Amino acid sequence: MKNRLKYCFLFIVFLSLSIGSVAFQNIYSQNNNKHKVRLQAYYFKIMDSASFFNIKATSKINKKNTRVSNIEISVYNSLENEQIKLGNTITNHQGETRFLIKDLNSLKPDSTGNYKILISFKGDSLYKKASKKVRFKDAVINAKLVTKDSINYINATLFDKNNKIPIIDEPLILRVQRLFRPLTLGNEFSITDETGSILTPIENGIPGVDGNLILEIVLDDNDDYGTVIDLVKAPIGVPIVDESTFNQRTMWSPRSKTPLFLLIIPNVLTLGMWTIIILLIVNLFKIYKT
Amino acid sequence: MKNKEKLLLDLAPQKFGLKGVIWTWTLIIISIIGIISYIDQVIQGQVVTNMHDYALWGIYISNFVFFVATSFVGTLTVAVLRLTNNNWRTPIVRIAEIISLAAIIMAGITIMIDMGRPDRLLYLFIYGRMQSPIIWDVIIIPTYIVISLLLLYFPLLPDFALLKSYFKEKNPILSKRYGKLALNWTGSIRQKKIQLKSIQIIAILIIPAGFILQTIDAWLFSTLFRVGWDSTNMGAYFVSGASVAGIGALVTVVYVIQKAYRLEAYITDLHFDKLGKFLVLTCLIYLYFNINEYLIPEFTSKKEEITHINVLFTGEYAPLFWFVTIGGLVIPILALLFKQGRKPLPMFFIGLLVVVGSWWKRFLIVTPTLLQPFLPIQGVPESWHHYYPSLHEWAITIATLAMALLIITALVRYLPIVPIQKTADELKNLETSKKDML
Repeated sequence: MKNRLKYCFLFIVFLSLSIGSVAFQNIYSQNNNKHKVRLQAYYFKIMDSASFFNIKATSKINKKNTRVSNIEISVYNSLENEQIKLGNTITNHQGETRFLIKDLNSLKPDSTGNYKILISFKGDSLYKKASKKVRFKDAVINAKLVTKDSINYINATLFDKNNKIPIIDEPLILRVQRLFRPLTLGNEFSITDETGSILTPIENGIPGVDGNLILEIVLDDNDDYGTVIDLVKAPIGVPIVDESTFNQRTMWSPRSKTPLFLLIIPNVLTLGMWTIIILLIVNLFKIYKT
Repeated sequence: MKNKEKLLLDLAPQKFGLKGVIWTWTLIIISIIGIISYIDQVIQGQVVTNMHDYALWGIYISNFVFFVATSFVGTLTVAVLRLTNNNWRTPIVRIAEIISLAAIIMAGITIMIDMGRPDRLLYLFIYGRMQSPIIWDVIIIPTYIVISLLLLYFPLLPDFALLKSYFKEKNPILSKRYGKLALNWTGSIRQKKIQLKSIQIIAILIIPAGFILQTIDAWLFSTLFRVGWDSTNMGAYFVSGASVAGIGALVTVVYVIQKAYRLEAYITDLHFDKLGKFLVLTCLIYLYFNINEYLIPEFTSKKEEITHINVLFTGEYAPLFWFVTIGGLVIPILALLFKQGRKPLPMFFIGLLVVVGSWWKRFLIVTPTLLQPFLPIQGVPESWHHYYPSLHEWAITIATLAMALLIITALVRYLPIVPIQKTADELKNLETSKKDML
């Protein structure tokens, strides 16, 4: 009897293990079929304008890096004890999205002045959940245009907003905005001195609409501060002369903008010829009636 | 009066004999084959042609240019000879008018054949841009058709009146139709005055119209930035080429009609001699422009130009180029410089050679340039560097040529080929002056 109970117990355990393993295997395999998502996030701050994260979601599918589109990503401000949700964003067809921080001052830094941000994807039927922690400090660039001995310079100061201490030995790039991508001016970068400042000359003869140049002073992809950009409007460029013939009457314009000589001469010739033709036809009637 | 009866007997339209009937039916059958091919082209699209991304204009366009060129004969023989008081033109002038009308009508039809979507023809008028030479062509071709028609019709009025009387008993239906076409012509002084004034106006009008037509045709090419076309020489080159093609066609048709209708008494060796001199003059002018067109690029030796010229001089199109230049220009010039060369039969063969040469000349203007694009596409199939028309293209093109001949044949059948009234008047004037001299 004792043996029978022992066998029954062993049978039930075996059966339970079998069923259980199959069930777990199913759950595991379902989870296993989902793809891992890799999140990347870069912090950007444009002075007196906007702060945002450029977020990118990718996944390795069949050994190929694939951009993950149309997934919802949540952004949180991580504090020691709580997560304050800042909002959601959805990736585009390139697997990218931009999350705009409505008010940087509403974010709470930790005791060292670091802002901790959690970027999280909760997972779906195709992808596993994923998250990315980003940490940054708030830096400020104050840039202005100065002219010394007829030479124009950009004088920019970089400092930590939290403690107002200048950030020294960091490279700042001076660029000018162009149609497709900014053009770097002068050296590749200038290193901030002990006051967190740079003084970079601007070469003459750069063309700009109405002579205005939009200069960018950039702290690029810094480990602590992310990317910080200050824009300076400088009326020191060579005015671009608009050579567009869009509104002119040219040989390549649409029919509504035909050159006047082409409207007048061929139409005068055509009308002249057809007037004579009509007169000749009238002459035929005259012959008929005579 | 007796003279006029004789003239009517000789020059009034006659029924075709067996050869004429066979000729007409052959043209009708060729035209029908072409129409069927064209319907198939409309249904299937231009995929039935051998045109492609490089050779986007094929024989349809070269054929169109040939027709436009041939239509220039009306301007030349009628207007120019009339305004320069060349009285020998009388027996050949109507043939020139008929060729001119047939050619320009077929030019209008041929350009439509080249359209991928002929149902959108109206869009040319609705949405056309005046900046495009194609629109200038769209304007000038119908204008030239109407002028050519009037040029043919006005001098015919007295002849229609004569034919009305002539056929009154022989063929009352035909007589009635001639009567309607005669527009109550009685030969009154007022009618004659209006008619002569009108002919004078048309003779002047057709000169600028003809030159505009040929020049626009040239500008269709020269306004495109392509090797072989991008030339300021093109307008004059096309006008002189059109003179050659037109007179060549005229010589050929005049000979055939002279033999078919036995008009040796009216179209004499003198006319062939004069036409021969006219043709040699136009050939020499055209040769001069050809030298301009090919020699200067050869000298300046721009890379693209020299590639194009090599294709013509020694390359794929060399046999055709030398046939056109030597056969279509040099041999006619050499032959026509001698009196024996200006006899009817040699003139017929020379005319034929000139016409065939003129047709292929247009092919050489259009095709080799297209096969040498200024901005070549990378990795194109080898076949794109060559063009040979498809069966559909040949059938349709030959049909258009047959249709042009059919129009000429139909007009020759029902119109007096040699102006009867004018010939009678000229004979009368001649007799009067003889009497005066005696």
